[in-house]
Amino acid sequence: MIAVLRGLYAGETVVDFPRWWRVAALASGAALLVSLGSFGLRGLELGIDFAGGTAYEVVAPDASVSDARSILSRFDADGARIQLVDGETIRIRSDIDEPVRAAEIRDALSTDLGRVETFEQVGPTWGDEVTDKAVRALVVFFLVVALYISARLEWKMAAGALAAVAHDIVVSVGVYSLLGAEVTPATVVAFLTIMGYSLYDTIVVYDKVREMTGRLGATERYTYTELMNLALNRVAMRSINTSITSALPVLSLLVIGSVVLGATALREFALALLVGIVVGSYSSLFLAAAMVARLKEGEQRWVQVRDKLSGRGLLDGPTRAIGRSEASVPDARSGGPSGRASGPARRRPAPTARPAGTGGGAPPRPRKKRRR
Amino acid sequence: MFRRQAVLLVGILAISVAAAALTLLWGNQPLLGLDLQGGVSVRLTATEPATEEMLDQSVEIIRNRVDALGVAEPEISRTVDGVMVSLPGVDDQERALELVGTTAELRFRPVCEVLPAAIPGTRGSEGSGNMTAEPFASCNLVRSGIVRPATGDDGVTSPEADHAEDFVILGGSGTGSTVGRRYVLGPTVLTGDALEDADADFIEFRWQVGITLKKGATGIDAFNAAAARCFRGGESCPVLQGYSNGVIAIVLDGEVITAPQIRAEGFERDRIVISGSFEKQDAEDVALALRYGSLPVELVAENTRVVSATIGQDSLDAGIVAGLVGLALVALFIIGYYRLLGLVAIVSLVVSGSLLWSIVAHLGTQSGLALTLAGVTGIIVAVGVSVDSNVVYFEHLKEDIRDGRTARSTVDRAFPIAFSTIVKADTASLIGAALLWWLTVGAVRGFAFYLGLATILDLVATYFFMGPMVRVLSRTTWFARRPGLFGLPASGAVPGPEATAGTP
Repeated sequence: MIAVLRGLYAGETVVDFPRWWRVAALASGAALLVSLGSFGLRGLELGIDFAGGTAYEVVAPDASVSDARSILSRFDADGARIQLVDGETIRIRSDIDEPVRAAEIRDALSTDLGRVETFEQVGPTWGDEVTDKAVRALVVFFLVVALYISARLEWKMAAGALAAVAHDIVVSVGVYSLLGAEVTPATVVAFLTIMGYSLYDTIVVYDKVREMTGRLGATERYTYTELMNLALNRVAMRSINTSITSALPVLSLLVIGSVVLGATALREFALALLVGIVVGSYSSLFLAAAMVARLKEGEQRWVQVRDKLSGRGLLDGPTRAIGRSEASVPDARSGGPSGRASGPARRRPAPTARPAGTGGGAPPRPRKKRRR
Repeated sequence: MFRRQAVLLVGILAISVAAAALTLLWGNQPLLGLDLQGGVSVRLTATEPATEEMLDQSVEIIRNRVDALGVAEPEISRTVDGVMVSLPGVDDQERALELVGTTAELRFRPVCEVLPAAIPGTRGSEGSGNMTAEPFASCNLVRSGIVRPATGDDGVTSPEADHAEDFVILGGSGTGSTVGRRYVLGPTVLTGDALEDADADFIEFRWQVGITLKKGATGIDAFNAAAARCFRGGESCPVLQGYSNGVIAIVLDGEVITAPQIRAEGFERDRIVISGSFEKQDAEDVALALRYGSLPVELVAENTRVVSATIGQDSLDAGIVAGLVGLALVALFIIGYYRLLGLVAIVSLVVSGSLLWSIVAHLGTQSGLALTLAGVTGIIVAVGVSVDSNVVYFEHLKEDIRDGRTARSTVDRAFPIAFSTIVKADTASLIGAALLWWLTVGAVRGFAFYLGLATILDLVATYFFMGPMVRVLSRTTWFARRPGLFGLPASGAVPGPEATAGTP
């Protein structure tokens, strides 16, 4: 692990990403199944903002849950969910959505139980309205972003990015469903954040992929997958660093905000964000990339390259790592096809022998052979 | 070239310092949302189809009622089918809910008796006898005890029992001469519907309230019928001790806002003057209450949200502390990893942060745009994205240097490439933020706004500060000689990982 990180830190191609894609696909498939299964069977615990109803938070150090229940039963609200949080706050949720009854209960709670710290009452139609709007926003968002990525990058990348985003959302929702955490407007914000982050991350990765395939692709010496692997290795350290810097504030929100300072509203929210950030980085490197590689390998140009290389027996075994000396072809953009004839790539001996499948790349560095 | 970088750098630093300084100077402060400072928000919907005009009028009336609560930034707006009221930081939440929700009716009731304030410890009474009576029922019914109005522990009739047709006992409102008294009142003889307008006037060196009544049977005629009885002081509107005529109380929201004696038998339509020992404020308040007494349409509270100030404060503290600790951790990590370049990243974050704070504070003060918990989250997320802009560039530098370029040449070459990546990714974020802002409601909107704002500022800070700063640093001799200080590998060489200064 440390060796891998060191290699990545030094900008070496040390991870065989394509080999992991299969594992990732299986793992993600399983995660999706579990998420969808949980969503189908258990559903989501919808908060009152979506389902309608009433919520109270009462600070009552000496009162018990049964005290609260007896007050509520006076108002025929026996179905209410009553929780004791942090020892002195009683959280009550009922499906009463008539304003008058809700207010009566509130008055009763404040006279007989304790200080009502928060009170929220939502009518039955509000949730549908909000959900409709959110769903519409989501659909439009997907369409516009697909168009944008198609225009700036290409449609295959748009497909990969949206698939990765969808995966992240499904998994995050699945986590919420499994935990039985309540879905509030803050949760929706968390999901949207995850979406935005995942998309952002994927675009950064794709941009690197495009840079690499543009520069080295013209040489026709490597398959798309190999070039993708090079790009992923080079961008991996960025992804790790960014995940860390994005996760640190969220982790602090989770640990300090909710556990130490007791802002319990933040707990599930921060947890969802944390899961989303990790999953978002993972999906960019393993899912979004794999999908684009698969699509691109189907293009005639890359099929030809592949056929040519595999005719020479270069493609058996693990993905060939492209070493530093080959990778640093001067700008293909300026050089064009002529760049193929010049540059250090020429010096590369035909790697007929395939010691560890990587050896040919960097002759001046025998030291590195020992990895893996 | 170099001069241009220096100009950009000095410019952006000057702007961000100036923005922060002006914000402090003007005393602009971010306006905190309901969830961060406590408060009340109510979404009211009309029970019957209402025109925009009716709703606008309701907004106006509610705003006037709410003004009495002394809320700094009440946000009252018309929605498609009702009114949205948001009162961050309101102290008296009970009162706020009452004020906002009720379609208070303005009622004119004859005064049967004036009582002093109830003695503490008085027990409430259920009320007895036939409290409900015709208008102009004889006051003797209550005076002799045949009818006893229902009262609560405070000696006055509770809002629930305050029916228009009943005999009631009501207290005076918070201002003027009615304070501390209780009025025994007869059934309602006139409602606010009869009123056309009311205003406060300064006439003959005294503040007075002028009333204009509507024409016809439901307006001036009905009032004159009442005035005639009270002027004479009949059984239904007796002359009280110390008065020379009968008194009519004007009641709003179960409180007597004023109780003038009727000094004429009949009035012309265009001028009824309530004179008395009004202070300017009292006269204006009374006129306002008369003018805006009742809402033109009945509104019911569809959604209600009450957050106490303590919970709000807790959330705010948690957000601030967690944010600061998170930032400190990010700073430690990024400086540990990229050394001086990490420091550049942090300063870049400070630049965009100071601009963000200035804008948020300005919008909060000028446009009443509140910062909510969702907004804070948007900003925390944006921190990660902002730092990433730096990481993308720095990693590009490292890569180019490993590929054999000199540190100095790569600085100029890598920036446009890295910046193009950043723009692509940030644009996707911006698209998302913009769509969410347009297409959603509530918390999500706040989040979208601050995410979008922070993303734009990230682009600004990257282009105007981070890029130029690194280029300026690259001119120093240290940059070439001590790459380790900048978290970069040695120029041109292809060292093993052990050779670089900062191992992960």
